[in-house]
Amino acid sequence: MKAVALFLPELYFLLMALVLFFCSLRRQTEPSKDFRLFLAMSAGGILVGALSLFQQGSLFFASYQVDLFSQVFKLALAGGVFLVALICHRLPGVEDRFHAEFYLFLTTCTVGMMMLVSAVELLTIYISLELASYSLYILIPMRQGDGIDVEAGVKYLFIGAVSSCFMLFGLSYLFGATHSTYLVDILPKMPALLASPVGLLGLILSLAGFFFKLSLFPIHFWAPDVYQGGANQLVAYIATASKVAAVAILLRFAALGSSYGYSFAQILVFLSIVSMTLGNLVAIIQKDFKRMLAYSSIAHAGYILMGVLTLSESGYTSVIYYAVAYLIMNFTCFMVLSEVADDGRDLQIAEFAGLYHRSPLLALALMMGLFSLAGVPPSIGFTGKLLIFTSAMNQGYFWLVLIGAVNGTISLYYYLRVVYAAYFMDPGDLPKVVPSPAIRWTTYALILIIIGFGVFPMHVVDLARTAVKFVLYT
Amino acid sequence: MAMQFSDTTFLACLVTSILPILSFGLIMIFTRENPKLSLAISLTASTIPLILAWGLLYKYWGIQEPLVYNLRWLYSDIVKIPFGFLLDPTSLLMLTIVATVSWLVQVYSIGYMGGDPGFGRFYAFLSLFAFSMLTLSISSGLLQLYICWELVGLASYLLIGFWYEKFSASEAGKKAFVVTRFGDVGFFMGLAFLTIYYGNLEIQQVNSAAVAQAMPAWLITTAALLIFCGVMGKSAQFPIHVWLPDAMEGPTPVSALLHSATMVAAGVYLIARIYPFFSASPEAMTVALAIGTITLLLSSTIGMVASDIKQVWAYSTVSQLGFMIMGLAAGSFFAGYYHLTTHAAFKALLFLCSGVFIHHFGTNDFFIMAANGARKLKIPMVTITIAALALAGIFPLAGFFSKEGILGALAHLDNKIWLFAGLFGAFLTAYYSFRVIFVMLFPREPIFQIAAAHSHAEEAHGSHGHGHGHEHEEEHGVPWVMNLPLLILAFFTLTLGFLQGALEQFLTGHAGHHEISIPLLVSAVGAALAGIGLAWLDWGAKNAKCVGFLSRVPALENFFIQKWYMDHFWRWFLNTFIYGLFSKWFTYNDRRVVDGGVDAVAFSTVGSGRYLSRYQTALLQVNLLFMVLVMAGVGLYLVMGR
Repeated sequence: MKAVALFLPELYFLLMALVLFFCSLRRQTEPSKDFRLFLAMSAGGILVGALSLFQQGSLFFASYQVDLFSQVFKLALAGGVFLVALICHRLPGVEDRFHAEFYLFLTTCTVGMMMLVSAVELLTIYISLELASYSLYILIPMRQGDGIDVEAGVKYLFIGAVSSCFMLFGLSYLFGATHSTYLVDILPKMPALLASPVGLLGLILSLAGFFFKLSLFPIHFWAPDVYQGGANQLVAYIATASKVAAVAILLRFAALGSSYGYSFAQILVFLSIVSMTLGNLVAIIQKDFKRMLAYSSIAHAGYILMGVLTLSESGYTSVIYYAVAYLIMNFTCFMVLSEVADDGRDLQIAEFAGLYHRSPLLALALMMGLFSLAGVPPSIGFTGKLLIFTSAMNQGYFWLVLIGAVNGTISLYYYLRVVYAAYFMDPGDLPKVVPSPAIRWTTYALILIIIGFGVFPMHVVDLARTAVKFVLYT
Repeated sequence: MAMQFSDTTFLACLVTSILPILSFGLIMIFTRENPKLSLAISLTASTIPLILAWGLLYKYWGIQEPLVYNLRWLYSDIVKIPFGFLLDPTSLLMLTIVATVSWLVQVYSIGYMGGDPGFGRFYAFLSLFAFSMLTLSISSGLLQLYICWELVGLASYLLIGFWYEKFSASEAGKKAFVVTRFGDVGFFMGLAFLTIYYGNLEIQQVNSAAVAQAMPAWLITTAALLIFCGVMGKSAQFPIHVWLPDAMEGPTPVSALLHSATMVAAGVYLIARIYPFFSASPEAMTVALAIGTITLLLSSTIGMVASDIKQVWAYSTVSQLGFMIMGLAAGSFFAGYYHLTTHAAFKALLFLCSGVFIHHFGTNDFFIMAANGARKLKIPMVTITIAALALAGIFPLAGFFSKEGILGALAHLDNKIWLFAGLFGAFLTAYYSFRVIFVMLFPREPIFQIAAAHSHAEEAHGSHGHGHGHEHEEEHGVPWVMNLPLLILAFFTLTLGFLQGALEQFLTGHAGHHEISIPLLVSAVGAALAGIGLAWLDWGAKNAKCVGFLSRVPALENFFIQKWYMDHFWRWFLNTFIYGLFSKWFTYNDRRVVDGGVDAVAFSTVGSGRYLSRYQTALLQVNLLFMVLVMAGVGLYLVMGR
């Protein structure tokens, strides 16, 4: 029974996948029924995630670790799925008969990610990662459209495959050098191992798989195309929940390099700087909103890596905080996007013109989300950035922080362009947008969270700090 | 601090200082559109401080040791900057004056401003002013005083430009703000000097003898002169007095409140507040004396030729402020401060009376008022005459005693030229104030002609003076809310003179022994009477020609009418140096260097984005190749760079 309790969130989502599977076998398509089922079950997912928040133990011959760290992320994942389910009430991007399958693969992807955050053994990690990735490979081309979805799907598949190769290659080095696939066994051997090229290459190549998920330079090429080509709701999922899981496993894995010190961190510093600078600069000239957010996500991967590379407790804490914050604020933007683009089209920034007159609430939410992404106080994004920058500063990365701050300024430019469009441009004959009550209440809640946790971050930070202890010292 | 909250005196100070700002916030945010509620809030927030101020004065009458409540805001080895309250006779008296005058003005404004569309806003600004001025008077540190000082300036700006739709009003507001700020720069630099070389901005410490040991004499003089710049701005001293006459564009109660009784007195109060510090520098005192004297003579002469009743009183205020500064600079703390007190009463009275006339006749020109029967308004006419008598310094009114004190202090100086200047100033003062009184009280035949000419000119000019829609409300009586403050102030004007001994005992701690100098007394009263007499000959007598004696020297009269060309001088100064030199080059720098730099950064950022994006949309093969190359490079670096 104990094992079941430990595995409860994953079991729940597996069960959910099974139910959805049967739904997909139905002869008549009943998209609204599918939606309600999915929404209800994902709401249950949050409950289950919250119930098992303080579970602790290990499973499957110690290859599977359940601790506060993994459970926090599982809860965040369940929350992410629920939020995405909320905006699936209209799913025009996907053919009606595929809706059940769409939900099904979202669920399996989530199961994969949940396993990913708990996995502490190399093969388990790899398989979980692939489970999540394969679901996405199928989901991306599911969009009905002009073929850009297929291009995006292919691109995602190929880049994913190559990064998996890197990862497998790296993992094999690690396994070969240490004769173990358990992180617990590998960790004590790392200091000695990192003195040799085998260990170094193994570690950095293994990280490539997570860089892919995080869309970090140099494995970021898929992001713009996938963001643009995928259905809006799916992209919302990739941009939020999927990122959170990637952060979790990156944290677990990067801890392996903590003994190597400066030179290892230097590589990460380099990747972080290039990633955020590249992302921000290219985002400036984008006209498509989702493409812009894709580049912004590349930049945010850079910020997140900044916290990871400190390899310190405060840095990890701030990264967890930032990941959750990123989930909230990015989701807010995507929710507005999917509400405004009611026929599931890709949205140009110009199409936000006069959103303030078309739907004041959504305009406000968009502004809060974007300001938060840009790191304007007192939003949750500002606090997250502040925590990350502070911890990097305390570790002596002055130049990195400086470049990060400059990047924050650059990013304001393109975020503000959207806000400008929403508030100051003439709406012309663009139609009004009337959000449903559920969306309205979600919007209120999101705005409240963005401000509330921005001003009073202590509870989340404390939780994150407790969670971090399980990663850094096991 | 915690313990102090149980101290009733501290609480009283806190309430006195905080209530008005609360009222300001409440009115501005919530009740601006509701005149009744705004009035209720504002009046409550000025009545309670009034009661508390009088209560404090009563409780601490005869206080020996100053009471200090300090919040240590910025304290270190080398810098000590407190925020808090300092209660001693000097501040208690000022607190009471400010609370009283601002309460009276608020009551008076019920009638004066009734029906104005900005009624709520007006009371909000009055509250802001009350907050700044009350807190200023009981500040325990110079920085706090400076902050309130600037807030007073802000409130003054808002109130002068209250009828901002009138171009001249908004211009006057700006002028007042900029000119006083000009002086405040000096004040701030003086504070900086004090902070750097002395490091303690507690007023009591600044007043202690330790300053003289910590700072060399030339530094004290420099700091004192710089601080005096602030005084010159706020108290409208030559050569930056030019804002005060223009400030009369504001509503008349504002003129009474800010530009006669309280705000302009802030400068004089500052000298009184840190009087020992100023005394430590004889050079600074001499400069102050000279400035005060020039101001006294200059503005009295302009007052002799003005035909706008508020202009006359404005220049009179400027001259009386100069007179106070003369008294202080001549070495008599009490004389200067005492004149401040009495002046607050009779000058507020003059303005409020004038306000009644302006309200009633819809013009600022006292010739027109006279022609239209100003003498029929009994109460204001009587009270304005009392106030003018006080201003001229006639026994037994308040002004007589305080002027006597200052002249006495001047007589003690070795150089008698100051005394003669003071006497001449008293003569001029009597002349210009009774010019107004006689014209209004006994309008002779020529007055009507002058009035006709003036009203003709006014019509040609378009609306003038009051300008907020009361012109056409004919023949309404004077409401009691406007008469009541007049009577109260008249009472003070009549009685304050007899409190000289008590006040001196309170302020200086010892009763002055006045050796009555008969020649001085005779010459002072003589000067005043001569002024009144001359005014009678020129304006009041049955067959008076009703032209000033100055008209025999047209060049001089014109010089005075042009206000000594001070406005021209400043205009020239601004055009040549500020706009022509600094502005021009700074604008150039702004446009070319700053803007250009920002543009360059922005364009290059966008440009590099465009450049980089070319490498982002390449073919999948290229992407993959790039990935592999970067990962390989990273691996190589790690292996080689170990």
